[in-house]
Amino acid sequence: MKKLFVLSAVALASFNTQAEVRINGFANLVGGITSSDESLYGYDDTMSFASESVFAVQVSADVNSKMTATGQLVARGKNDYEADFEWAYLTYKATDNVSVSAGRLRLPLFKYSASKDVGYSYHWINAPRAIYDVNFNNLDGIRLDYNNYAGDLEYNLQGAFGTVSNDLNTSVGPARLQVDNLMLLSAEATYNYLKVRASYVTAKASVANDFIDGTIKAAFRDNGLDELANNIAFYDDTATFTGFGIEYDTFNWFVGGEWTQIKIEDSFNPTNTAFYVTAGFRTGKWTPSVTYESFDGNNPFKFLDKVAALPAPFQPTATAVVVGLQQPFADEYSVINLGVRYDLDTNVALKADISKSSNDMNSAEDATLVRFAVNYVF
Amino acid sequence: MHTHILRKGLISAVIGCSMSFVASAELVLVVHPSNDASLDAKTAQRIFLGKESKFSNGKEAIPINQAPDSANRASFDTDTLGRSSTQVAAYWSKLVFTGKGIPPKEVGNDAEVIAMVASNQDAIGYVDSASVTSAVKAIPLN
Repeated sequence: MKKLFVLSAVALASFNTQAEVRINGFANLVGGITSSDESLYGYDDTMSFASESVFAVQVSADVNSKMTATGQLVARGKNDYEADFEWAYLTYKATDNVSVSAGRLRLPLFKYSASKDVGYSYHWINAPRAIYDVNFNNLDGIRLDYNNYAGDLEYNLQGAFGTVSNDLNTSVGPARLQVDNLMLLSAEATYNYLKVRASYVTAKASVANDFIDGTIKAAFRDNGLDELANNIAFYDDTATFTGFGIEYDTFNWFVGGEWTQIKIEDSFNPTNTAFYVTAGFRTGKWTPSVTYESFDGNNPFKFLDKVAALPAPFQPTATAVVVGLQQPFADEYSVINLGVRYDLDTNVALKADISKSSNDMNSAEDATLVRFAVNYVF
Repeated sequence: MHTHILRKGLISAVIGCSMSFVASAELVLVVHPSNDASLDAKTAQRIFLGKESKFSNGKEAIPINQAPDSANRASFDTDTLGRSSTQVAAYWSKLVFTGKGIPPKEVGNDAEVIAMVASNQDAIGYVDSASVTSAVKAIPLN
């Protein structure tokens, strides 16, 4: 369906004699190896390239002077390089400052959301996972972009509305994420070397998983404990995302960071708070940098007060289930990363980095990872 | 003794550098002779970074860039856009893959820039001031 849409949009454009079709692409070849048998980001102690390598081709065609069709075909190593149209959308440029896009498109949650997959566009081998690894990066819906400037102040406002559906792999088996009525607002302002941004999302989210759903039914619903079942279940619950970012980039050196929080209070899912700070400098073709990232999804267990209010005979089982459903999703870690980028050409960059992760819940999972990358754009 | 000689050598090398810098090319903006828009380095920066699509007179602006390996491109990127050619390329890679912009068309040398600007009322380019001909209107960059 998506493919048909893009192909027909491109075909439509090419039948128009004035149409211009542009083909661009990017490639990230990333190899990594950990120093021990602990894995990090999908790498282990044998050199592998599958986890983060990406090859993509983007086709965009002007349907008319106001409308553009864009499709991005992406092949990821972690999906065995099976190519998929991750983006397919039409953009209508209403005025010089306002454009509307509709289809499947990137949700502007973060500073590097739009170019997250284009390794060439930033100094890292990959954008910090603690922040960028969310399951709702691509939206099926509509996005409004407003750009303007006043003197040296440039600003950009974005609004989006739509849905997200995704298959997830969780520690308790495959799950299906469904996010509806997603509404996003984001604002970004640039003043000389300084850039600040903020974004906020609210949505109704559900996660379906056989183990979780079965446990909640057997332990609570079958015993008439519907209120507790509704509390712990991740079903049609209000989810919020809050993000802030700041950057100061003089082109000779830069320092920046982002902070995000994801909350789905009325569910077993923990509140996740994450941030990173990064700094580096550019000297000739070299850009060395250092990044620290932190992820905290390890909170006091929710709903224990509700369990305490139950009749005593129910309490031991209810406690075990309430804790047992939250425990597998608790996570707390930090990563320190030292990296260097070398600009081989105006469209090729070589990178190397070393990451040391510290798991605050289980230090046996600490790992050290070395990666090498080639980024190419055309 | 040795350090003294070395210092002298350094000083003459520095003078040599600064002289060759003075003698090196001075870039100017070029537009069609009929283009009456007011232009300066700041406006040129906005147009060449895709942040502005129109001239001050409301007409569409079509920037004409030079090839990435040319000396004029390197000094335009550094002096007017305020960043290296690689950083400019990284900047465009962000816009291209988000459908937010298309980098300026690139041509091989000053003569090609002048030919394009002379034949297109909307075009804007930059060339060495020594290359300017009567077919285009030149505007200083500083």
